[in-house]
Amino acid sequence: MLKSLRKPKKARALRIFFATDVHGSDVCFRKFLAAAKVYEPNVLLLGGDFAGKGLVPVLRNGDGSLRAELDGNEVTVPAEGWAQLTADINRRGFYATQLHADELAVLRADPDALDRLFRSEIAAQAERWCQLAKERLDPAVRCIITPGNDDPVDADPVYAADERVEFPSGMVCDLGPVAMASLGLVPYTPWNTERETSEEDLAKEISSLLDSLPEGRACIMNFHCPPYGTGLDDAPELDATLKPVIRGGRPSIVPVGSRAVRDAIKKYQPPVSLHGHIHESRGVQRLGRTLCVNPGSDYSSGVLRGAVVDIAEDGTCLDFLLTTG
Amino acid sequence: MASSDAAAGTATAGGGESGRLFIRQTSGLVRELGIPAAIGISLASVAVVNTFINFNAGLTDFAKADMYLPLIAAAIIWLVAMYAYRHLLRAIPRAGGEYVYMSRIVSPAIGSMAGLGIAVVFTYVLSTNAHFAAQFTPFMLSGLGSAFHSTAIANFGNHLGSNLSIAWLSVILMLIVAALSLFSAKIVARIIFWLIVLQVVAFVALIGVLAFHSHTDFVGALANYSGHPSAYSSIISSAKSNGVLFGTSIASAVAIIPFMVLNYNGVLYSYYVGGELRRPGRTYLIASAVSIGVLVVLWVGVWAILRARAGLTFMQAQANLGVLNPTAYGKITSLSSVAGGLGYGMILSPDPITKILFATAVPFAEIAVNLAFLMVTTRVLFAQAFDRLLPVSVAKVSERNHAPNNAIGIVVIVGIGFCFLTSLVSLGSIVALQSLFFALILLAGGVAAWLLPLRRADLVDTSGMPEDARKGLLRKIAWIGGATTVLALFTVYELVAHSSVYGKFSWESILTLVIVLGAGPVIYVIARSVRRQRDSLDLAMAMHELPPE
Repeated sequence: MLKSLRKPKKARALRIFFATDVHGSDVCFRKFLAAAKVYEPNVLLLGGDFAGKGLVPVLRNGDGSLRAELDGNEVTVPAEGWAQLTADINRRGFYATQLHADELAVLRADPDALDRLFRSEIAAQAERWCQLAKERLDPAVRCIITPGNDDPVDADPVYAADERVEFPSGMVCDLGPVAMASLGLVPYTPWNTERETSEEDLAKEISSLLDSLPEGRACIMNFHCPPYGTGLDDAPELDATLKPVIRGGRPSIVPVGSRAVRDAIKKYQPPVSLHGHIHESRGVQRLGRTLCVNPGSDYSSGVLRGAVVDIAEDGTCLDFLLTTG
Repeated sequence: MASSDAAAGTATAGGGESGRLFIRQTSGLVRELGIPAAIGISLASVAVVNTFINFNAGLTDFAKADMYLPLIAAAIIWLVAMYAYRHLLRAIPRAGGEYVYMSRIVSPAIGSMAGLGIAVVFTYVLSTNAHFAAQFTPFMLSGLGSAFHSTAIANFGNHLGSNLSIAWLSVILMLIVAALSLFSAKIVARIIFWLIVLQVVAFVALIGVLAFHSHTDFVGALANYSGHPSAYSSIISSAKSNGVLFGTSIASAVAIIPFMVLNYNGVLYSYYVGGELRRPGRTYLIASAVSIGVLVVLWVGVWAILRARAGLTFMQAQANLGVLNPTAYGKITSLSSVAGGLGYGMILSPDPITKILFATAVPFAEIAVNLAFLMVTTRVLFAQAFDRLLPVSVAKVSERNHAPNNAIGIVVIVGIGFCFLTSLVSLGSIVALQSLFFALILLAGGVAAWLLPLRRADLVDTSGMPEDARKGLLRKIAWIGGATTVLALFTVYELVAHSSVYGKFSWESILTLVIVLGAGPVIYVIARSVRRQRDSLDLAMAMHELPPE
């Protein structure tokens, strides 16, 4: 009797491993690829902000040795140590570039040159990561990478052209039991980053993505910006100089998510919405029937925070697990 | 400083001629705790003034007790453990303490044993702290009465000695702690900070009061306070006639070491928030070393000055006579025999301000400790709920105060239950092995560090190291882990060898320990199998550590 009353068990049709905001950390990206063996997902999804934030100038000395500053300590290695030094710098989420002292002086004096160098390094890392994905991933596992507000558009063509990696930025793609809409745009930030817009335009972008879906088609959201006021978007309040506002000796924490994303989740009620952007707001919340997930980020410690999400054949969310590895 | 307004944000150079890092301005700060915050957590987790309780326990439980060796030896044990936890934190830089280390390095079931055990025992500790503060209330009122020249306040304390009064006072303290915990973390941190400042000020004032008075002043002050012109010598002679032994003994000093290990317990607790520490290994190491250093200076210093002013013989006599023959002691003086240094400071204190400081030091210390322990306990529960070992609602963070209110509620309700049990029922035989449990936590940390290079060498960052150096680092971690394990085993041995003092083995105490330790693995196995049957997710996945290669 009890058995007949029990809901029939739904089978898992799709498992997604979602991580975000790795900010150029080679360690985190390698762990992201290793997650395919550990969690056995069908889809590996790397949300936005894959680009690194720092560039370490490596000075060529007169004797051919190389000198750089790592974690505040000056390191000198012989010329043949370049590969290892680069790996060490990349592991910290930074890019390494060899320079002569005069080239460094030029870079200091020319912000545009510095910016071009950053962009080329980010694109070069994208190429390396695509190659790594090709070498390490089982062909049965889909690898999807989407951008966030911190990612310069220069890396887009690299990922978009790659055969192993999928790059459905600003698009809806099919994952089998569900579709997935991806958007890297965020409302304006104090940082003036690459992919920012107004709440009104963000709402329009979301509508144009989701309104095109066939009636009844389940679609999960992969929106870089978390919904406003859900606890997934709490970040330190910043002043005009981008320094955290201190109140009572501690940083003031305020919600900085998107109202347009929140309204869209309430309107469309996807089974799952996946977010990033706010590293410190790791968590899970429900907005109506939608499970909203922000796995957070701890890339600077080489820790990959992620979320495993299981989807049933009918597109409903079966379960989730936040991971830290 | 160069900068450019580029489309991808502003790029800036760190400056300097040595080729420092260029930073691209991008969004996404990570909440970071620096060294001051980590020191605050470490010192808040240790009730600085509770050292007098442990001094008193050492003096009464072991003949010829002296505290120099135990204080130094225990500090060395924690220093070694500090290095072990530093390597664990560098390999696994996240919150959750032994739960995370054991589940990732040894096995998820063992990690669950540590996690749930810590949550239960820490909750019980919250109630014992509240109970202790309640028991201290008469001393506090007597001090306040003396400060305000009010016999009514002093006498009111005499009406608060019943078990029921103590129970209600404990509950009131727990409710105060619960109410304060409902503020945002930044306000709680501020409250803890000021309570620590009060403790340190009380300690410094005590050292000042003792330093500016001579031994003769102390003898005279005791006589005045007691209304007994030869109170000092009478206590010593009465203790001698009651069989109290004076002097020092190496054997008793060694046996007291576990008391002092427990005294420092909490000084390394910033590893519980390892996921929020900036440059975890370095921040943790500096914060813990500073905290241990501060405690060693304060505690060894105050013990030295107590010896010089009151005298070791007097302290041994007073503590033991108060236990062996309270009637005889009560006839000589009304000074509480357990008040220790704070009591001495109070009778010497010339002004009401320091009297108020000494009188309120313990209750304020207990509030600070309970606030810190509540944060740590809810964090451990939070970590387990995030791993889906406990219901996910336990990890729910309130939008209003950004605090895990459900976890706080569970801990406070269970803690209040423990308060009543502690006050009204004799729990002594049931919780007798609490000290042993704390030593087992230290043992777990030592074992995890020892096994780290053996089982999960891939988690140790050896990037850029030649093979020899890599092997050397792994060997070093194994040695430090091994040394911590040996020192923890020594503490366990001393606790077991002196079980009549540290907690007797009985069927009740052993059963309680088995239940506390066994509950975690049982819950893990049940939760894992239920989830596997109901859904497709394996809980063990949450406790995997991803290899980068």
